Amino acid sequence: METMTPVLAVAKMEGGRMLQSRRGLLWLTAYSAVLSAFALLLVSNTELSLLDNAQVVYMMAGAITAAGAMLSVILGCDAFAGEKERGTLVPLLCTPIKRDGLLMGKALGLLLNWVAMYVLALPYLWAVGASGQNLGPALLYLALFGTFVVLGFGYLAMYLSARTGSVMASLLGSLMILFLAASPLVIGPGLRASAVGRILDAVNPFAGALNTFDSVIIDSEPFTHQAGRLALVTLWLAITFLAARRGAGNPKF
Amino acid sequence: MIEIENMGFSINGRPILSDVSLHLAPGDIYGLLGPNGAGKSTTIFILLGLLLRDRGAVKVLGSDPAVDSGDMRQFVGVMPEKAGFYDWMTPGDYLRWFTGLYAMPVSESRLNDLLGNVGLGDSMGRFIGNFSRGMKQRLAVARALATHPQILILDEPTNGLDPKGRKDIHDLLRAYADDHGAGILICTHILDDVDRLCNRIGILHRGRTLLDGPLADVTGRTTGGRLFRLRVEHSPSAGDLPEGLAIVSLRGGWLHVRVKPEFDQDVSVLWKEAIERGWFIREIHSEEAGLEELYLRTISSSETVRPENATWKQ
Repeated sequence: METMTPVLAVAKMEGGRMLQSRRGLLWLTAYSAVLSAFALLLVSNTELSLLDNAQVVYMMAGAITAAGAMLSVILGCDAFAGEKERGTLVPLLCTPIKRDGLLMGKALGLLLNWVAMYVLALPYLWAVGASGQNLGPALLYLALFGTFVVLGFGYLAMYLSARTGSVMASLLGSLMILFLAASPLVIGPGLRASAVGRILDAVNPFAGALNTFDSVIIDSEPFTHQAGRLALVTLWLAITFLAARRGAGNPKF
Repeated sequence: MIEIENMGFSINGRPILSDVSLHLAPGDIYGLLGPNGAGKSTTIFILLGLLLRDRGAVKVLGSDPAVDSGDMRQFVGVMPEKAGFYDWMTPGDYLRWFTGLYAMPVSESRLNDLLGNVGLGDSMGRFIGNFSRGMKQRLAVARALATHPQILILDEPTNGLDPKGRKDIHDLLRAYADDHGAGILICTHILDDVDRLCNRIGILHRGRTLLDGPLADVTGRTTGGRLFRLRVEHSPSAGDLPEGLAIVSLRGGWLHVRVKPEFDQDVSVLWKEAIERGWFIREIHSEEAGLEELYLRTISSSETVRPENATWKQ
């Protein structure tokens, strides 16, 4: 007989649902196909291949973080509202597991999926960045800031999921916030330099992560330069955690 | 095991439960009856600490679920109205995972017993997504029993089951209550389930308990006393009647009698006295008032009769 704590049991279910199910494997396949296409484009396109090696790694780190945040939003929305719609939430709430334990289990499951995505991305990052000098810091800061951002969006989605009890409503809300936060990826350097862009950068955890990648990978700046941005993503994580905790304490069932 | 007194619950000022009382002792099988929207599921959720009551007293296994429900839930097996399973798992995988939530791993032999007892022994390798509704109901019963609960709370446990399946579940629940001294609370619309299984009933209507008491008492006394039919050699005269017994009619060779509600001794005392008075009784049959009649009468009107071992609320 295998002994398992309730928190690990929930984490196993959350992780297993993505990593063992057909849908989860499909997601990971699609994710690696996108990374393959991206890597191929970066090294084979006439103009893109002229990009600096560090610039390529930076772009890929941003894309990986965005994909991780997207998955965490989907899983986060499923965490309570999906369970409710499937009718599996009430049996779960009727067990002795504490609400903090339930939230921790779901967050651990989400992290398992992020770890799988991170590991899957390693060969691609190596392929495009092995010839440069900043691959090591890139991997380190992607692990640190990427995890904070991914977990933060997961918590935000869990909060909306628990409060609305609807996958559709929580997904719409979470994705809108995610797209707003991810806008630095698409609005370009010109707009980011504007007043609105600067405000967005100052409060946006996603921009905080991207700016850190920029600073570390492209500009080779040390950790001390990242303290402010680390504080931003940590604060974001703390706020979303408290919100998720509140939602998990009284989910709609 | 469960004690609820005058419990009330409201949502945004709208009363959902206004006065609910319920008493479940070890070995009891309690049938909680009521129409849709009466508040049965809400009562269950409050018992489990998922909703917080506004007033009244609630004790489950000696603790207040509003204060600390987590430890109490360790000893309670629940079957919610919606079975709720992960379709991509097999029943064995699911039960192994589910018992992990109680930190109570299940052995393979116990797993086989559980699934065998609910008639799913040969479906171990199938995905739950391919199960019929009845099979999911059976699995939900197995899930509720998997952690050796002291209290079982079952919401519509035989919904969607065929007659054989219902009988199997009845037998299983009765055996569990007898063997483990567990208390079982069943919420149902199916009166036959209550008739066959329960020794206590409660009727809930519009958030109020209209009736709470032993089944035998309430069914026997609501129509003015327990009914019996007797096959006697000679019809007794009115003067020969033991006190506590009234003649209702004489039809087809049967003497229909009623035990008066105020008679509080064992009914065998009456038969003994009748024989002493010269009655020659060949057969005695109980004709208790039907549960359906009791249910409909209780719901449609406020009864004024108050059985001795039952609590009536006006």
